[in-house]
Amino acid sequence: MDPSATTPLPRAPDIPKPGGGALRVLAWLAALTLIYVYGWKVTQINLVELATKWSLAKPLLYDLIRPDLIQRYPRLQRADAGIGLDGTPSPPPEIRGEGRITVTPQTARQGDRVTVIAEGFAPSRPIEIIWRDQAGSTATVAKGTTDASGRFGTTIAVPNVIGTAHHVVAQVTLEGTTLGPSNTLRLTLFRMVETIFLALMGTTMAVIFAVPLSFLGAKNLMSRSAVSLWIYYAIRTIFNIARSIEPLIMATVFAVWVGIGPFAGVLALGVHSIASLGKLYSEQIESIDPGPIEAITATGASMLQIVRYAVVPQIVPPFIAFTIYRWDINVRLSTVIGFVGGGGLGFLLIQYINLLQWRQAATAVWAITAVVAAMDYLSSAVRERVV
Amino acid sequence: MGGAAVRLEHLSKVYPDGTRALNDITLSVKPGEFLVIIGLSGSGKSTLMRCINRLIEPSSGKVFIDDVDVTALSPEGLRQIRRQIGMIFQQFNLVKRASVLTNVLSGRLGYVPPVWSLTNYFPRDLRLQALGHLTTVGIPEKTHTRADQLSGGQQQRVGIARALMQDPKLILADEPVASLDPATSHSVLRYVEDLNRRDGITVMCSLHFLSLARRYGTRVVALKGGEIVFDGLPKEIDEARFKGIYGDEAIEVEIA
Repeated sequence: MDPSATTPLPRAPDIPKPGGGALRVLAWLAALTLIYVYGWKVTQINLVELATKWSLAKPLLYDLIRPDLIQRYPRLQRADAGIGLDGTPSPPPEIRGEGRITVTPQTARQGDRVTVIAEGFAPSRPIEIIWRDQAGSTATVAKGTTDASGRFGTTIAVPNVIGTAHHVVAQVTLEGTTLGPSNTLRLTLFRMVETIFLALMGTTMAVIFAVPLSFLGAKNLMSRSAVSLWIYYAIRTIFNIARSIEPLIMATVFAVWVGIGPFAGVLALGVHSIASLGKLYSEQIESIDPGPIEAITATGASMLQIVRYAVVPQIVPPFIAFTIYRWDINVRLSTVIGFVGGGGLGFLLIQYINLLQWRQAATAVWAITAVVAAMDYLSSAVRERVV
Repeated sequence: MGGAAVRLEHLSKVYPDGTRALNDITLSVKPGEFLVIIGLSGSGKSTLMRCINRLIEPSSGKVFIDDVDVTALSPEGLRQIRRQIGMIFQQFNLVKRASVLTNVLSGRLGYVPPVWSLTNYFPRDLRLQALGHLTTVGIPEKTHTRADQLSGGQQQRVGIARALMQDPKLILADEPVASLDPATSHSVLRYVEDLNRRDGITVMCSLHFLSLARRYGTRVVALKGGEIVFDGLPKEIDEARFKGIYGDEAIEVEIA
């Protein structure tokens, strides 16, 4: 054989490259650039407008730092007297004040003229005589001014009203005004309480359903037979579907179903929380330590005792922690689902926003912030203690 | 109080995946013996222990405790016999979030009415007894501590106290010191030895270290591949026997 014949060169050993070559990196970079360029266009990002048009938001932001908290109220002196219609005895007076009002006769019929005398009020001030009916609605029936001794007398005709027990109110407007919490603040505080309870009821409803369901959704308990495994898959699927439907959409549906208001919110939060709590609970059950169960079984304990001593201590504290965490989330959500008719603070906020009442809206915004911050603190404090 | 006699007849266990963990084990343990079971991981030690109180159901064969056929017992009868068998675990298996006292008292659950459990009620004499057992194992001051606040050695002592609450005639200890350091291992095993010597409780204890087996066992049984490959006195295990149990490449490691 010819020794000069070419012998094949030894092949260079395949040297592994870490994560591919430079070309692949460049390709990735190009793809990323394309994605972000398109994203910039599609979301209409405009930094120029952000910089130049900020003055448009100024009044709005300015109102945000001066929420509607207090307002001036006229100072009033009031007194009332009962009047019975159609032969019914007159009801007792309900307001206690400095002044006095007398009605004669105390029993009358519709259209009768009765004499009203108000005494003991501030002198030379405007006075209104107001008819308050059985249901609490009011109508001014006479106006005037008190004399130098604080007295005012007139005759009025009994108006065309329903019911038998009514009151005649004398209301004198004094000089000056008083400061008090604004109507907005009162309304906001009321809605705040509603929000907290809305979240509480929704969470409670979720716990009631999620606890039993979570046992059916725990693989370690349900993998014993084919039937139970199918139940497990069914429960998990329901959890996943229910969790992926936004509470906002659920609230919309329930607001149509049961009417706008907190109940729709409770249902929306409840259904959503069943799914998310159910999943968390199930995973907790799946991760329990089988050791204590084995140990308690080995002592000759009964099934009930095994559950009580080996299972419950392992799942109850995390269950409580998850539940409080969920309540916390639900308080946040409840402010938003109000936008679509779920009641609570959000319902109030969207009304103010739609009416362009920014200062009132600011009150609601700050209330939401306060509630969320308080719940956040509370839930972390409780979780720290429990777990 | 005396110890129980344990007799295993042709005991086999095949797991659903086909693993043959125990293969035709026949073994007789006399009352008051301190039987040490040695063998590699996976040799069937834990399965053997758990077949005795049927935490694991044997596939075939019989288990007798004082001539009672455990394998033939009804669920209620099984509960009755389990009450007399204390068990100690490698991972202690305490209820971590419960107090030490509750953990010790839980050893008595087989004897008390189940409804008491709803409020975690145990009568005064049982609580005093629990305190007594905690004193025996040297940690009475930990009574109200949460179990997960204790060190490994302390947790295992709570495990022993829990077994003691059962007034056991037999103690099954499944690698009781495998998670502990050498010094703690000795102190834990000494408590078990005391119970064996003083009260005559029969002990079946699986151990990793041959040195511990020699020190504490009155008799040693070695398992390999689910079969008994040695049964004799601790001092009879020489180099050749050791390699037979643990494989040719094994080197004996001493524990202080």
